[in-house]
Amino acid sequence: MSLRVLILVAVAIVLAVLLQTTLFARLQFITPDLVMLVVIMLAMTRIRPEIILGLAFLSGLIVDLLGSSLLGLRAIVFTSVAYVAIRTRKSAEVGRLATALWVGGLSLMGIVLLLLIGTIFGQTTLLGEGTLRLILLVPLANLVIAAVVAPLFARLIDHDATEYRYS
Amino acid sequence: MLNRNKSDRALPTFITLLVVGVLFMTFDVRLEGGGVVGVLRTGTQAVVAPLQRVSAFIVNPVAELVDSLSNIASLREENVMISAELAEAQASLVSVQDQLARLELLEQLYGLEVTEENLGRTVANVIGQPDAADAALIIDRGTRDGVNKGQPVIDTNGYVVGTIGSASLSSATVIPITADRQAVTVLVRSQVGTLNSQILTDDMRLEMQLEVFDARDPVLAGDRVVTSAVSTSYPAGLPVGVVLEDVNPQGGSLTATVSPFVQPDQLRLVVVLAWPPDPISAVIGELIPEVTTTTTQPVTTTIVEAP
Repeated sequence: MSLRVLILVAVAIVLAVLLQTTLFARLQFITPDLVMLVVIMLAMTRIRPEIILGLAFLSGLIVDLLGSSLLGLRAIVFTSVAYVAIRTRKSAEVGRLATALWVGGLSLMGIVLLLLIGTIFGQTTLLGEGTLRLILLVPLANLVIAAVVAPLFARLIDHDATEYRYS
Repeated sequence: MLNRNKSDRALPTFITLLVVGVLFMTFDVRLEGGGVVGVLRTGTQAVVAPLQRVSAFIVNPVAELVDSLSNIASLREENVMISAELAEAQASLVSVQDQLARLELLEQLYGLEVTEENLGRTVANVIGQPDAADAALIIDRGTRDGVNKGQPVIDTNGYVVGTIGSASLSSATVIPITADRQAVTVLVRSQVGTLNSQILTDDMRLEMQLEVFDARDPVLAGDRVVTSAVSTSYPAGLPVGVVLEDVNPQGGSLTATVSPFVQPDQLRLVVVLAWPPDPISAVIGELIPEVTTTTTQPVTTTIVEAP
């Protein structure tokens, strides 16, 4: 991974964390999981899979450290989502809608995993009033954002203007 | 077709990271958020907090605009309701003022003195929330402002919000009572009980579960739930919520549903209480006679030594 890619990925993750914890913490109905979205979109790039997994783990750890939930919870979830994303990324190459649906599906998997592992480890915060809203709105918001941003993100990281043109 | 580097090292890396993640979780559970994990949290928050402040400063107007636009339809209806509530509140205020005047008179007659505990208060802005699945609040005050782990947090009306989960130099994380794994010891109708984190309801309302293990009397809908003097996390008498239904004791215990007064995700401003008061100062205060300084306007200053 070149220095340019490293800087771009670091900026993307930091921006995602900042927007997630400030802007989207204030909005009631637009609730994407931007950090998870960045992790999924990384799987669309040419970065080596094991580095993507490491970045996913690190991103999850940062979110865990900023919050009140168990350290490692999101790290595990984001790593799992990244692994599935790496294994299924061919689905994202079909078209823009397919990319969006692929991101939506992976986000749904991530949220369900977060709730499941959280419940196993006694995280009552994850069994609250917003559970259903979380399951519905987070994947939907990620899906919409991904439809617009995902191909651009992959092109920017890989420095390849021909990527994800869906011809 | 895209050309990508395929590698079989993904699976071993994935499994290794999963094991590391589980180890982290185990450490966190065992250390109860303290030790190395606490230091890591504090360090990360100290690094990210300044960036979050800048980000909040930039995005807050945008968030307010979007919030206003999404709420515009219900604003008129809400205004009518608030006007009616205001009229009721003004009527109650007059009645309370009258009662206060009578109370003051009676206190004077009986020579009573109110011993009010003066707690240090730190007002803080809510600058964010970790993510949609984490109810914790990030505030812009930290240890340099006197905010420390475990201190109780209330809203501007005095209602209980939660406790400080972790604090860095310039920011802190508040764990709301609705998301805390630890129960709050409360008082309802002179009975001590515990209030547990929110429970999942059919209609997705924010509710908590009250359990009184030594119940003598029933609790009724509308009963106020306040923090108990037995509580080690909160000062006594802070309002927490209201009981939603009548419940009779069964076999010496009762379980009731409580609606908390505070909606944590809608808070923009909170107050951190310096509680429990510093034990060292309290001891010194008892040993050394208190010196009271009274300032009389405009310039005369009298120093009175207490007996």
